Amino acid sequence: MKLLRLECYKCRRRKIVLVCAAVLAVELIWMGAFFTRQDAEDLKWGWMLLLYNLAMVDAIILPLSVATLASRSCELEHKGSTWKLLETMVSPGRLYAAKLCWGALVLAALLVIRSGLFLAVGIMQGFQGEIPWGRFGLFTLISWAVSMMVYSLQQGLSLRFANQAAALVCGISGSFLGILSMLFPPALIRCVPWGYYGLMSLVGMDWNAVTRVTRFHWQWPQPTDVVLLFLWAAVFFMAGRTLFVRKEV
Amino acid sequence: MNIIETHDLCKQYGSALRVAHLELDVPEGSVYGFLGPNGAGKSTTLKMILGLVRPTAGSIRVLGKSMDSVNRLSVLRQVGSLIESPSYYGHLTAEENLRIVQTLRGVPERNIREVLQIVRLDGQRGKKAAHYSLGMKQRLGLAAALLGYPKLLILDEPTNGLDPAGIQEMRELIRDLPGRFGMTVVVSSHLLSEIDQMADHVAIIREGELVFQDTLEALHGRSRHHLALRTTNNAVARSLLAEKSVPCQEEEDYLILPILSDELTAQLTRFLAANRLGVMRLEERQKSLEDIFLELTGKAASL
Repeated sequence: MKLLRLECYKCRRRKIVLVCAAVLAVELIWMGAFFTRQDAEDLKWGWMLLLYNLAMVDAIILPLSVATLASRSCELEHKGSTWKLLETMVSPGRLYAAKLCWGALVLAALLVIRSGLFLAVGIMQGFQGEIPWGRFGLFTLISWAVSMMVYSLQQGLSLRFANQAAALVCGISGSFLGILSMLFPPALIRCVPWGYYGLMSLVGMDWNAVTRVTRFHWQWPQPTDVVLLFLWAAVFFMAGRTLFVRKEV
Repeated sequence: MNIIETHDLCKQYGSALRVAHLELDVPEGSVYGFLGPNGAGKSTTLKMILGLVRPTAGSIRVLGKSMDSVNRLSVLRQVGSLIESPSYYGHLTAEENLRIVQTLRGVPERNIREVLQIVRLDGQRGKKAAHYSLGMKQRLGLAAALLGYPKLLILDEPTNGLDPAGIQEMRELIRDLPGRFGMTVVVSSHLLSEIDQMADHVAIIREGELVFQDTLEALHGRSRHHLALRTTNNAVARSLLAEKSVPCQEEEDYLILPILSDELTAQLTRFLAANRLGVMRLEERQKSLEDIFLELTGKAASL
């Protein structure tokens, strides 16, 4: 707890709130632009349409956002050459864990606020049907879990390389691959870490090529995908942590 | 009692042995100067003592305890350090920077004010560290090292980048620490004159190997006086001096003799003149510390 509190303290004046506000603003503008282009027939799908598109927007926006947050947290240590000071007081393993916990906390806050905002938008728009509180909660949890898997990868890179360009290029590539992977066959999507935003979406879409009608349906994430998500997270965590702990300062 | 002891300490990077079989003994309460040219392995050695770099071979004992993964952090609670450049968060003020170290060390909050006063940064404590000059950053680094009033303070080239006034200030501060707070200070430098003005014990390393370790007094002892004599025929003079049992050796057209009494010196010059040898030069010389450093390291005194 002490280390987590210090991580928050260190991030003073690092404009973390501004980064999060920018993420929310981009998602709101994107979704706002999307919904204004929909006709009454499409808007009939209300909550399903919202959650389906939100997963898609997440796949584009969150990889880069997560990379930015991880970079903001790790860059300050490289910039100030603080490793040689910190590691005389705390073990590198605990430092790594504290940074990861900070990321988990910030992402949780960001995604809870994001879900709250879109719930409010849905209610104000008067979407048909009952408000899917449970599904929104689960959607938030899934977004957070996928983001944490990506955060583990990004933190590993940001800690490994003092120059944050490597981590940010990875984040940009992730944003690109995240949306592109939605076009891949399911087996291939599972090989793309950023593809899990779309892969674990709670809403499925059927498009009838003959009638050219789109239908949405609720769906649950596949257990295999949940296991694979945890496997990816474990691999990134272990690799990042091992590289960091072994690195001599 | 020795506060640091290393035994057969080695560090190898690839095929290069950067630190070779180092046997350091740092006496408690001393200001221990760790001297060597750039790239001699000083920083690597200090990092190994702090457990920041893993030794390839050998052992380290600090404050009587072995520096292994079990003891490392508990031993380091009593050790302050400033390695190479100072560590700081540029977007935080000096006080905020020190609060992080204070929380991690678990020391009283009042120490922050005290150490800021010691390093004379109390007037600038609300300024962001990024806006500090290099000298102020160095003092902030020293404040962080002093925060827990450690028993042992390890400073790696603490005067690097400081202006002459800053160097003088830092030097006085380091010299005072054992007396004021009972600390042992290990300070590395590539400048002999700096160590000469601060330390009471000195170790000199060259290409990772320890070439000298003793008190500064013992190092000064090596800079003994001698006589340098130049005659019209040094070879003949040498054999005549041997007849009188005066040891000498030839060095760059001079015969180097030990210090002799005035009476004996007068007798010798008369004896040489009686043997038709002219005395062209007779000088009293002292080997400087720079000469000794050069002899020991094979490099100039400030490299």
